[in-house]
Amino acid sequence: MKSGVLFVNRLGEILLFLGEVLKTLWKRPCKLELVLEQVWHVTIQSFPTTAMAGFFVGGIMTVQFAMLVSEFGASAYLGGLATSATIREIGPMLIAFMLSGKVGAFTSAELGTMKVTEQIDAIRCLGADPIQEIILPRFLGIIISSFFLLTGGLMLSVIGGSTLGILFAGINPQEYVRHIPTILGFPSLMSGLVKCMSYALVLATICTFMGYFTTGGAKGVGRSVVNTSVLTMVTIVVFDWGTSFLGQLLMSWFAVG
Amino acid sequence: MMSIKTVSANPFSALGHFLIVSFKDIRSFSQLVGATLVQLFAHLPRKKETFQQLYFVANGSLWTIAFCVTFASIVTILESSFHMKIVIQNDSMVPGFASVLILRELGSVVTALLLTSRVGAGMAAEIGSMKVTEQIDALKMLGINPVRFLVVPRLIASTIGCVILSIIANMVCILAAMIVADQFLGYSIGLFLTAMRRFVDFQDIIFASIKAFCFGIVIPLMSCYFGFNCKSGADGVGRATTQSVVFASVAIIVLDFILSYTFSYFY
Repeated sequence: MKSGVLFVNRLGEILLFLGEVLKTLWKRPCKLELVLEQVWHVTIQSFPTTAMAGFFVGGIMTVQFAMLVSEFGASAYLGGLATSATIREIGPMLIAFMLSGKVGAFTSAELGTMKVTEQIDAIRCLGADPIQEIILPRFLGIIISSFFLLTGGLMLSVIGGSTLGILFAGINPQEYVRHIPTILGFPSLMSGLVKCMSYALVLATICTFMGYFTTGGAKGVGRSVVNTSVLTMVTIVVFDWGTSFLGQLLMSWFAVG
Repeated sequence: MMSIKTVSANPFSALGHFLIVSFKDIRSFSQLVGATLVQLFAHLPRKKETFQQLYFVANGSLWTIAFCVTFASIVTILESSFHMKIVIQNDSMVPGFASVLILRELGSVVTALLLTSRVGAGMAAEIGSMKVTEQIDALKMLGINPVRFLVVPRLIASTIGCVILSIIANMVCILAAMIVADQFLGYSIGLFLTAMRRFVDFQDIIFASIKAFCFGIVIPLMSCYFGFNCKSGADGVGRATTQSVVFASVAIIVLDFILSYTFSYFY
């Protein structure tokens, strides 16, 4: 009961914070240079990690599907199946887990340190709005760059999958790629991209929220970093289910394959 | 640790700097691993600390992991039904397919990634703040080996905890998949179990446990390494935490790939 109340309380805090940030975005947008600077930082920091994660996730899915598919003698479908499963489901989730460890933890540690050493209060003292000056550029920068990082990771997962197709299953790349369009239709691709977008939003909201409301010195910073990654992962899994569910609902309404 | 402060304009110089730094890192990491192995077998582990850590690792993460893994398995079975309908027009293979995916990949990897972000980050933050407040130097001054005192209990606890949690996670996953298949896809539970049994064997559970065992070794070693090498200041602890989570996650995915590849010769 108590934990239920705490959960609803936290959810409300996060939604109010998100509302505040969006209101600031609407009324007093920050400078474009600040956003671009954040995009640059986040992308440069995390691109190698994301690319590597994407490559290996694609490889793992190909290896697993190759074992299943070869039992039915349907090796031709390997490329399509593995790519579709990676893009619709496993890929965005695992790469977003990686980003929550990298970008989310870094941002909340940075903001938490600012908060604990009273730099945020100093900004408020100088008559500036900390949400406008500090939170908003990071929020927008993380959304934009994580979306592109996730998409880039998915592209690399196709490359990883076809590499493992050559090495492990003995399928040449042309054969691997040939069946991707037949299985991975436009709705599937959109579902993957929508997932990436919603994960980017979740990541940006939670890490800025946790950083901005850090209390309790250096230990508090450590705690908020841990909380950020755990909460982000839990929310990502829930959103994963939600977007899949919504996608299937929409598909059954409009009857597209 | 990628502490390249002076970004050189000369690419050769930057490359050399990178190589030297990464060589030093690999060397000190393997020194830590060696010291841990020696201390693991040289003395009996500290019982109380080990049990406390085991409580922190296993009991603390149980509900989070069960929750996440349930949703992940629901999505997996719905998605694989979608794919089967495209390829072979019916979804009669779905229970087997989903249970293979769950047991071979999802159960252990998702568990390990969640443990990394919760337990690994916690350990790195704890040891990092010990390092920053010079408690580790105090231990050394008292003649206590910090590796024996801090790393070994965490290693044992995290290994045991990860294996147990991954078995529980696999079980919860299969249960959730079974309920969803029963309610939404029209497979009764008996049908599900029969179809599952044709695809999955007992050795799958053994392999999943071996995977979890390896992941459980990696997490505390990474966290303790980055905690011990924490730079001073509040900034340093946050950086150590982030780096330990990132490196442990990458190591888990690469290790998972290697283990999957190896196990594929045994099926």
